[in-house]
Amino acid sequence: MTPVPNTLSTSIAPPDVELFDPPMCCPTGLCGPALDQLLLDVNEMIMSLQRENLHVERYQMSSNSGAFLGNAEVMKLLGEKQMEALPIIVVRGKVIKVGAYPTLDEIKANLNGANV
Amino acid sequence: MSTQFIFFSGKGGVGKTSMACTHAVRYADEGRRTLIVTTDPASNLADVFEQKIGHQITPVSGVSNLSAMEIDPDTATREYIDRAMAPLRAAFPPQVVKVMEEQMSGPCTAEVAAFDRFTDFIVSDKGAPDFDVVIFDTAPTGHTIRLLELPAEWSQSIATASAGSGQTCIGPAAAIQDAKRKYEHALGALRDETLATFIFVLHPEAIAIRETKRAIGELGKLEIHAFRLIINGIIPASEKANPLFAARSQMQTRYLAQIQAELPYPSQSMILLSGEIQGAARLRQVGKIFFDGEPTPVELEAARGKPVKIVTSSIEEVTARILPKGQRRTVFFAGKGGVGKTVASCMTAVWLARQGHKTLLLTTDPAAHLGDVLGQPVGDNVTVVSGQTSLWAVKIDPKAAAETYKARILGDARQRGRPESALKVMEEELESPCTEEMAAFDQFIDYASQSQWDAMVFDTAPTGHTMRLLELPMDWSQQIDVKVFASVEGNAADNVAKQRFGKVIEMMRDQEQSTFAFVMYPESTPVLEAWRASQELATVGIHTGLVVANFVIPPEQVTPFARARRAMQVKYLAEIRERFAVPVLEIPLLPQEVKGLEMLVEIGVLAYGNESRLPSLKPKDWNQK
Repeated sequence: MTPVPNTLSTSIAPPDVELFDPPMCCPTGLCGPALDQLLLDVNEMIMSLQRENLHVERYQMSSNSGAFLGNAEVMKLLGEKQMEALPIIVVRGKVIKVGAYPTLDEIKANLNGANV
Repeated sequence: MSTQFIFFSGKGGVGKTSMACTHAVRYADEGRRTLIVTTDPASNLADVFEQKIGHQITPVSGVSNLSAMEIDPDTATREYIDRAMAPLRAAFPPQVVKVMEEQMSGPCTAEVAAFDRFTDFIVSDKGAPDFDVVIFDTAPTGHTIRLLELPAEWSQSIATASAGSGQTCIGPAAAIQDAKRKYEHALGALRDETLATFIFVLHPEAIAIRETKRAIGELGKLEIHAFRLIINGIIPASEKANPLFAARSQMQTRYLAQIQAELPYPSQSMILLSGEIQGAARLRQVGKIFFDGEPTPVELEAARGKPVKIVTSSIEEVTARILPKGQRRTVFFAGKGGVGKTVASCMTAVWLARQGHKTLLLTTDPAAHLGDVLGQPVGDNVTVVSGQTSLWAVKIDPKAAAETYKARILGDARQRGRPESALKVMEEELESPCTEEMAAFDQFIDYASQSQWDAMVFDTAPTGHTMRLLELPMDWSQQIDVKVFASVEGNAADNVAKQRFGKVIEMMRDQEQSTFAFVMYPESTPVLEAWRASQELATVGIHTGLVVANFVIPPEQVTPFARARRAMQVKYLAEIRERFAVPVLEIPLLPQEVKGLEMLVEIGVLAYGNESRLPSLKPKDWNQK
């Protein structure tokens, strides 16, 4: 099978933080029958990262399949653990968390670590 | 030449499907390639054409140039999911694909999918180039309008989404760009008077006039302006000899004048027929009456059939399904549009309240006219019905429910100390078209869970939409089960929701607590539609407990026309007993519309008997008022 090319141009620098979400109706879970406060926390965390001018991308499997397919490690985790792998969080190209959302501190520590 | 679109609209039970089919057959006979499509989830096209139709364009036998299709929401959803999933199937592990499909099968997708299929016909490049005329036999008024409003709402929500968080509830972002173009294109066609015509079918009655005016107003806001009227059910002049029909005919004359004054659109009228409208030959005959002004024959075939004995249920059998038995009784009145669900609900609620039961009367119909029948306004908050102790009434309005829902969610987020920027994103997402349905459903569950009432009476929306509402607790429970990710707190919230839904499901299934009452008039389509719905509910463990046969013509009739109609009804009254093995409550055809508490009290006593706990009423002659 021919590999599906990554839709993002390689000349553009990769995002600082990438979140590969599990399938859901909408990223805040607001359209479901019960609210998950954690998803709202995640949204806020992303906004606070963006305020620090960090480039954050969030991917849904159905609408951003290219991002999933373009990341070999993400696809490998998905192949191994199926849905349990999600969410997968990538900081500057490196997977830092699998199957759960990190805290803002965790992300910051990784960002700082990557900067060193 | 471009395809012409003709939309048949109007309150349920006004003969929309019959008139749409009559037009379809006429156009096809004139040599125009014609397609008739219904978006009503409880379609009657197959009954009228006496053949199987379903979710694909099907040639109508006996009429060359004519095809028909019934949009099935479930099939439309499957097709929509298949389209969205096709590119992903090859790329992701099969189990992952399966979970994604389950997720997409949620209630939210169904609404989008059915609508999407509907617009396919209007957008000419994908739509219906093989047809000269496409006729839409649409769902009843309130819902039709909502459907037509969606392109505007969605375009907006798509625009906000791409400017903001980049996500919407509607589906894959790339597909949505196409969808936006498609919906705009569709709305453009609807606005073009050379392409689209909206025909409102109505009876000369107060509620129908008000509803038509409102619908025309709403469409006007969407910049749709090409309207025509068909005033249906005009009582023939020969019936002056019959006191019941003479009284109704006088009422019609008043309303015809009102229509002329208040609805200044090109209009045609159609006489009330003594028999049913089914089959191509009959549709051609009706076409001759409608288009060419040929005289109407009286259909005596039914009258010539062998006599049928009608067994009437006793009042005790009927009231046993209405009265609370040591716990709250919930009665759902369901059925096709225009069969008299609202009158049945109001009369039952008033009667229960007069028996001393603390009663809540609710409507889940977005095009509700509960207030018109009660003779006083009914709002979005539970209020006392003035003039009747122990009775409260409320309306579940999806728009108002959505506002309350949004306010509650945002208020809660604010209390949790979420920053304004986060609230803004939440607000954006709550603009999704699914919020209204979600919120209306949430209110339904809320009311259905209230324990302070002895009795609760639901006046529901027309069949298809009600089925969807009643099945939502099951659907959402399933969605929670297939949910992939939830935090500990999210999990707890899910469990609370599941328990809440579970209780309502249990209540609806328990015949000691709940009664599903199907309302119908004794004619083929309402009986068949109710029967199918009742079978479908049985598969989820909800059983029909009562049938209300409405507009029954009394046995003693002198004119051939009235005798022929009575004979037709008798046939279906027998069929009702045979199909539904439950008590049947008959409500006679009344000389005038039911309006106000006094009349409701009277017909309540007529239906359920004298009031035991209260001093007996002085008979009041409301006929002469």
